[in-house]
Amino acid sequence: MSVWNYVVTAHKPTNVTHSCVGNFTSSQELNLIIAKCTRIEINLLTPQGLQPMLDVPIYGRIATLELFRPHGEAQDFLFIATERYKFCVLQWDAETSELITRAMGDVSDRIGRPTDNGQIGIIDPDCRLIGLHLYDGLFKVIPFDNKGQLKEAFNIRLEELQVLDIKFLHGCSKPTIVVLYQDNKDARHVKTYEVALKDKDFIEGPWSQNNLDNGADLLIPVPPPFCGVLIIGEETIVYCSANVFRAIPIRPSITKAYGRVDADGSRYLLGDHAGLLHLLVITHEKEKVTGLKIELLGETSIASTISYLDNAFVFIGSSYGDSQLVKLNLQPDAKGSYVEVLDRYVNLGPIVDFCVVDLERQGQGQVVTCSGAYKDGSLRIVRNGIGINEQASVELQGIKGMWSLRSLTDDPFDTFLVVSFISETRILAMNIEDELEETEIEGFCSQVQTLFCHCAVFNQLVQVTSSSVRLVSSTTRELRQEWNAPSGYSINVATANATQVLLATGGGHLVYLEIGDGTLTQAKHAQLECEISCLDINPIGENPNYSQLAAVGMWTDISVRIFSLPDLNLITKEPLGGEIIPRSVLLCSFEGISYLLCALGDGHLLNFLLNLSTGELKDRKKVSLGTQPITLRTFSSKNTTHVFAASDRPTVIYSSNKKLLYSNVNLKEVSHMCPFNSAAFPDSLAIAKEGELSIGTIDDIQKLHIRSIPLGEHARRICHQEQSRTFSICSMKNQSNAEESEMHFIRLLDDQTFEFISTYPLDTFEYGCSILSCSFSDDSNVYYCVGTAYVLPEENEPTKGRILVFIVEDGKLQLIAEKETKGAVYSLNAFNGKLLAAINQKIQLYKWMLRDDGTRELQSECGHHGHILALYVQTRGDFIVVGDLMKSISLLIYKHEEGAIEERARDYNANWMSAVEILDDDIYLGAENNFNLFTVRKNSEGATDEERGRLEVVGEYHLGEFVNRFRHGSLVMRLPDSDVGQIPTVIFGTVNGVIGVIASLPHEQYLFLEKLQSNLRKVIKGVGGLSHEQWRSFNNEKKTVDAKNFLDGDLIESFLDLSRSRMDEISKAMEISVEELCKRVEELTRLH
Amino acid sequence: MESSSSCPSDSNPKPPGASKFLSNLPSRGFLSSTVSSSNPGGMRVYICEHDTSPPEGQQIKTNQTNILIRSLQLNKHKGDSSSKDVKGLTATEGSRKRAPERALDSRAPAKRGNNQIGSRQGFEHTEGSDSRTSDKDYYSLTVERLRALLKERGLSPKGKKDELVARLRGV
Repeated sequence: MSVWNYVVTAHKPTNVTHSCVGNFTSSQELNLIIAKCTRIEINLLTPQGLQPMLDVPIYGRIATLELFRPHGEAQDFLFIATERYKFCVLQWDAETSELITRAMGDVSDRIGRPTDNGQIGIIDPDCRLIGLHLYDGLFKVIPFDNKGQLKEAFNIRLEELQVLDIKFLHGCSKPTIVVLYQDNKDARHVKTYEVALKDKDFIEGPWSQNNLDNGADLLIPVPPPFCGVLIIGEETIVYCSANVFRAIPIRPSITKAYGRVDADGSRYLLGDHAGLLHLLVITHEKEKVTGLKIELLGETSIASTISYLDNAFVFIGSSYGDSQLVKLNLQPDAKGSYVEVLDRYVNLGPIVDFCVVDLERQGQGQVVTCSGAYKDGSLRIVRNGIGINEQASVELQGIKGMWSLRSLTDDPFDTFLVVSFISETRILAMNIEDELEETEIEGFCSQVQTLFCHCAVFNQLVQVTSSSVRLVSSTTRELRQEWNAPSGYSINVATANATQVLLATGGGHLVYLEIGDGTLTQAKHAQLECEISCLDINPIGENPNYSQLAAVGMWTDISVRIFSLPDLNLITKEPLGGEIIPRSVLLCSFEGISYLLCALGDGHLLNFLLNLSTGELKDRKKVSLGTQPITLRTFSSKNTTHVFAASDRPTVIYSSNKKLLYSNVNLKEVSHMCPFNSAAFPDSLAIAKEGELSIGTIDDIQKLHIRSIPLGEHARRICHQEQSRTFSICSMKNQSNAEESEMHFIRLLDDQTFEFISTYPLDTFEYGCSILSCSFSDDSNVYYCVGTAYVLPEENEPTKGRILVFIVEDGKLQLIAEKETKGAVYSLNAFNGKLLAAINQKIQLYKWMLRDDGTRELQSECGHHGHILALYVQTRGDFIVVGDLMKSISLLIYKHEEGAIEERARDYNANWMSAVEILDDDIYLGAENNFNLFTVRKNSEGATDEERGRLEVVGEYHLGEFVNRFRHGSLVMRLPDSDVGQIPTVIFGTVNGVIGVIASLPHEQYLFLEKLQSNLRKVIKGVGGLSHEQWRSFNNEKKTVDAKNFLDGDLIESFLDLSRSRMDEISKAMEISVEELCKRVEELTRLH
Repeated sequence: MESSSSCPSDSNPKPPGASKFLSNLPSRGFLSSTVSSSNPGGMRVYICEHDTSPPEGQQIKTNQTNILIRSLQLNKHKGDSSSKDVKGLTATEGSRKRAPERALDSRAPAKRGNNQIGSRQGFEHTEGSDSRTSDKDYYSLTVERLRALLKERGLSPKGKKDELVARLRGV
């Protein structure tokens, strides 16, 4: 790999951090707005359900999200503050469907210690000011003027340093905040302050309350008429206002999120750490609070945010599991739950660990993640591309074409499958036992190759062979009419629909026939100047049986032409350029837009927008699908039409949001495909590949497929073993009733069924920290090695751990050897036939020794001290790269002769690492806890020892995601002969559920894309006026520097979503055609 | 922990009263009961092609004046309006104020140029509100700042501080 890296998201963040409901897109419409860390999603509430509207990338990590309504406005505004101290106020412009920036700014201060408990952003209910608590001891005020405009912000000193929550009180004549804080004796209190905007200071508020529940953590302001505040503790809930104090005890729980149900604030939903949903009710008489009641409703995912939508529907946003749409039922179900889960929204976060495997052995990587936490823990299998679920297959060599036919014109199911070979045609049909059996259609000519078949009107079938067109009755199966090619001419290519046949013979003759009841009429003939390579008359106009346009691909002049039917007048001629002839053309329509697709002999595909009435072609785009000629066919799945491009890299072409998308099919090579919708195999496809004909159904048409394996416990490490076809995980189970609240296990899973097949429980307080499948020198067995730590409550750092060596025998984990260590085994690596362990501050190498009695043991060979905590280790040859807790990356080398490990070089920056990976011999990649990525380079050519001992930082980038793991590998099938197949990639997984790809580019391509990125920055603006350049700049407590040697693939790939005029603008600036630009960017999208 | 009878602290899955409290959940006509599973995916990704800079005056900055100095200013402001004999006080206050102001300046490196505009506007604001404080404010500024102000108004930035202030006051 190289220093020139391209970072792109394969799976967007799914961790829901915030949500709110309001009239954002119009005063009449109600919206649910969801924040997923670096994106917001706007949904519309309709009687039919939640309707997704827009997915908005934000150049920042969202710290607060609030809807508010300034005075005199008809609809709500959205206030967003980011973790890097930017804020913006957004308004939806319904006319243009754009997000307008109403205000934005930088709210950072030069001095100040960032708060420990997260940033707080709140808006006065009467819209007099926005309050921000970003630094300890400071409260920032952004006042509104009376026209709803924001004014200059100012800070107020806040005496309370350990603030847990701040909210605005309702119904106060002066804006009043209520502060929940902890004093230096760890007692928790609540205090109120009035904000004096003129004096820019606080005035003591109307009331305060000392000595609350020690776990009090959350304030809920109660709207008028009560105007108090609810203080949610771990054991009590208190309602507090100037003159009322009410408290109730609750079952011990940590409340994570709340959602207000009623506008008057009399009911609230509370979600706790165990995923239990409670209803909190304020009982009242004559607008005076008389008491509180709490009721358990049922279980949901562990909520991070709760939004009551409407009509008893509630959105549960989760960071630890799937987010849910639930309904609150009036009557409990059989299990006593009032909560009914209606929908789940997949969330991969937090991805704690993952591995890349090829379970189906197709040469296509799949990512298996340890996702979710606590009770919502799961494994997720993430696969790119569309799978074919094979249902039947038969060996058949040399298929040249396939068509399905119905026995009656209006039969919903296909009966016959016509398979054409070089010198014969065979007809297969479903028999009574639902088996595919060879049959005959008497009227068909089966001694020659079939060029085309189709069902025609009046219960007829059409067969085109090189010499004639035959019209056959589908009921009697007898020949009704035949049209013979003039002698001396043979038909080369042909196409047909229900009422029309178009064919071409040698010499550039184009013949158009019309089908009647038992008649074939030659309606028109045209002579073109060169030979015809392909034809299509797929009807996409109003009449589903008749096409008014014909597409014709030409040899020699390499063009595609559009003719009108029935008169065969040339309407459009589009030269394709280059020397590759078109092999397949297709007229098709997606989402009401007509296209002409044209596939070339070298695996490229051109698409044009087609004007159905004028036959004009425009907006030509080119993509590379494979390297072999492509055959195009339409098929439908779930009532939507898609196009299947059969080639060495089969692809499904579909449309989403009026944009063509290409998704590869998980098959190696497909020569022909035709839809085959029979009663026994509904919605199936017949696929000809590598000497085999198979029938199967197709997955949902989408790019990434995610399968969930719920575990009910928190998987923390995962590893795959090819030899035993198993996965092994380290997991943690929370037990609510047992004496020890959590238990740790090593579990063995079958890699096909994902069932637990064996379990090894760890000791009390013992955590599984690392897991590895490896073998040792002089031993042919493959083992699972597990590193553990004893995490004792009284110790700051573990001082004891174990390395356990297991072998899988008869599907069971058998402990072979065990070695005690003097600390936590954070990492294990196979290293020169030995085992390399990172144990607290030490790197230790173990040999696998044979004892006299034939048993094996791990024996310490050598080690290396000098780290704070060696958390992440990767090896390559004799080199060891260590990611330290706080001392960035260092490079060690193992010296065989001396049997010693020495430090070779280190990066002297103080980065707190979260993952490391070796890109190549000299370049190492790191991720750190301020959401940055960086690369360092070994300087072997340095003149002095000092220079050689320093790892030079060569790349820096702000990813905005906390990376937990890097792994070499790829999500897509690697074709050795395509350009993209040569680009090495690393996959990463993050806390927000992002799966991303880092690709090392050739320098020339990097420079090209860097230029494209800087041009795109001028055209694609950051929502809310946030700057892309600032967002991607490397940032930690010490420094902020521009990104270097990393490119933002998400920005670059959004080129494909731009309007044509903007594309033109960029193509002009880049001095390269739009078509070429699209193709180069499209290629990059195939990296993930 | 004591638990009252109304509290479901015993994790009873069938709390007697939940149904009672779940009636009359608010409804505004959306998500009627025949709600079908919503379509996930397929959400349009927003590409922002229009200019997103905020309207004029709505790029918000924080007042960079030190909180202590600000409160002193505000107090004095009040004092000014109540007592008129402030000549001597102004001078001492002015000199006292210079030190932290200068410290503020030195802390603001070149990159914060735009913030200076913000704080300068702040000064102009106070200047507009009371001409007497404006004189004092000119004295509290550093010579460099005064020169910058003069340049901005197209005046000669040469001379001693008194001259600079006089020139500024003359505008």
